[in-house]
Amino acid sequence: MRDGEVIIVEEILSVKNLKKYFVKGGFSRQKETVRAVDDTSFSIKSNQTFVLAGESGSGKTTVARLILRAIEPESGEIVFDGAKITNDVSSLKKIRTECQMIHQDPYASIDPRMKIFDIVREPLDIHDIGKSSERRNLVFEALRDVKLEPEEIASKYPHMLSGGQRQRVAIARSITTKPKLIIADEPVSMLDVSVRVGILELIKELQNKHGISFLYITHDLSTARYVGHVIAILYLGKIVETGLINDVLLHPRHPYTQALMDSISEPDPANLQKEKKIRINNPIDVNDYQGCRFRARCPYAIEKCKQEPELEPAGEQRSAACFVKIN
Amino acid sequence: MTTLSIEELQVQYQLRDKTVHAVDRVSFSLESNESLGIVGESACGKSTLGLAIIRSVPGGRIAEGNILLDGKSTLKISEEEFAKTVRWKKISMVFQGAMNSLDPVFSIKQQFEEILKAHNYSGDHLKMINDTIDSVGLPSTVLDKFPHELSGGMKQRVVIAMALILRPNLVIADEPTTALDVLVQAQILSLLKKLKKEGMSLILISHDLGIISEIADKVGIMYAGKIVEFGTLQEVYSNPKHPYTQALLKSMPKIKGESELISLKGNPPSLIDLPVGCRFYDRCPHAMEKCRKEPPKIKTELGHVLCWLYE
Repeated sequence: MRDGEVIIVEEILSVKNLKKYFVKGGFSRQKETVRAVDDTSFSIKSNQTFVLAGESGSGKTTVARLILRAIEPESGEIVFDGAKITNDVSSLKKIRTECQMIHQDPYASIDPRMKIFDIVREPLDIHDIGKSSERRNLVFEALRDVKLEPEEIASKYPHMLSGGQRQRVAIARSITTKPKLIIADEPVSMLDVSVRVGILELIKELQNKHGISFLYITHDLSTARYVGHVIAILYLGKIVETGLINDVLLHPRHPYTQALMDSISEPDPANLQKEKKIRINNPIDVNDYQGCRFRARCPYAIEKCKQEPELEPAGEQRSAACFVKIN
Repeated sequence: MTTLSIEELQVQYQLRDKTVHAVDRVSFSLESNESLGIVGESACGKSTLGLAIIRSVPGGRIAEGNILLDGKSTLKISEEEFAKTVRWKKISMVFQGAMNSLDPVFSIKQQFEEILKAHNYSGDHLKMINDTIDSVGLPSTVLDKFPHELSGGMKQRVVIAMALILRPNLVIADEPTTALDVLVQAQILSLLKKLKKEGMSLILISHDLGIISEIADKVGIMYAGKIVEFGTLQEVYSNPKHPYTQALLKSMPKIKGESELISLKGNPPSLIDLPVGCRFYDRCPHAMEKCRKEPPKIKTELGHVLCWLYE
């Protein structure tokens, strides 16, 4: 590479072979290792919304915490904006300013004793961004970006706001440091249906305006499809299928993705007369880390599934970890 | 078998000097074997409506109106009589989050026994418990287990079984699938569908229009304490009349096909200081001058809508 050439970082985040195990138990019980994230790799392109979808306990939030280095991974590496994330002060500072997080519950994620202005300003104070005189403008700008009226709202306290407004405040706080990546962990699941769309639209708009990439963590495939470009389906700590969102959801290759799609009830009067069929075997809770983890519930399981399936190409820009690969 | 009719029901909660009008002049009726879905957002009064039907509104009171079960008022009889003859025997309820209220120190069997004892059930307890647990698709081995040994889906099945144990004709289920994983949610839904097929009527309370469409023959859309639209599932979903219903149906992204979405501005009014006139006024794209007055109840094909647009 010649000097002075601009390096275009196509991938804002890349995660390679990430592992995080937790040890459960104590007292009289036998110790048990939970593989919350098990050898997970994925990458997020700039200006893209990458969806990490899975049920509770699939490890999706653990991935977010690992990226922000809130917890230490067992092994694996995370490259953010061209640089590997390490425990160095400068590396941590970079990830913690340029990557922000929006949490699920806006009733818990903002401090009830702080005014909205101070909530949104706090990241600027912590990371010492801008002169204190400029900070006011930055805060106001962020509030306007999330469609809140700064003059009206800045001096209010969180209890005076609705759920949707609170979530907007949380989003305003996340954009003050001009992040390149925002991790949104179920940002609409606590909100009423009628205000969800507004937040989803806002995410799209912020992406267009500021070129922010999003890691959208959810169990709700409908909202995922609305904001997402690429999706990875997580099952017990492993990615079982990944690809462009419409390809994966509309033509699943992995039986688990298919089961998830089967389980969605859309508002359709025809549902009433139909039987609800989910292509899945009776769930037996197996914490078997041998072979395919979905094996016990999979209606297509074959003998070979006792071996561990790897993510393999399964069409254009997509891969699935399945020996059967349904069509 | 059971018909239910609600007439001008008003349920209120009293805060120190303020009254919360959680359910305000709600009327509808259900024929036997019909299931109803009540849809609404948080704090619209949908849970309170369910609680009022089984006459246990903690901290609140049924101020006015009537509830008729098979033509007889359930509000005019004494609490003792209601508890003895109606609650849990004719109508039962699966409360929101009930799966987290199982007693951690008793086995599942002991908790079933407790219900049967409280209702002086004289038949074969064990057979009754086994039959019920079987009807919700659980193996009888769960009876000797304690709540912490069961998964969320299994606990939800247990609480549904508890509501079924005295063989009521009508079960009210308040958000029975919320807080469950998608796959488990779908399995609980197919269980409810199966129970309905076997002759049980359900009142399903939910914020999720998709879930409602799996179960409900009739649908009531609730907004700020009022049922703003009521009708058959087909009618309400295919040809929504009230602007709020229209907005709700268009506020959910579709998993298949493209959809144009509508986002509503603002918030529902407080149930303490209710505005005069239509409660949806501030958020309604069709608001007109006369909407400042109480909207009339307009008859639709098989239900009603509270809106000036159809006058």
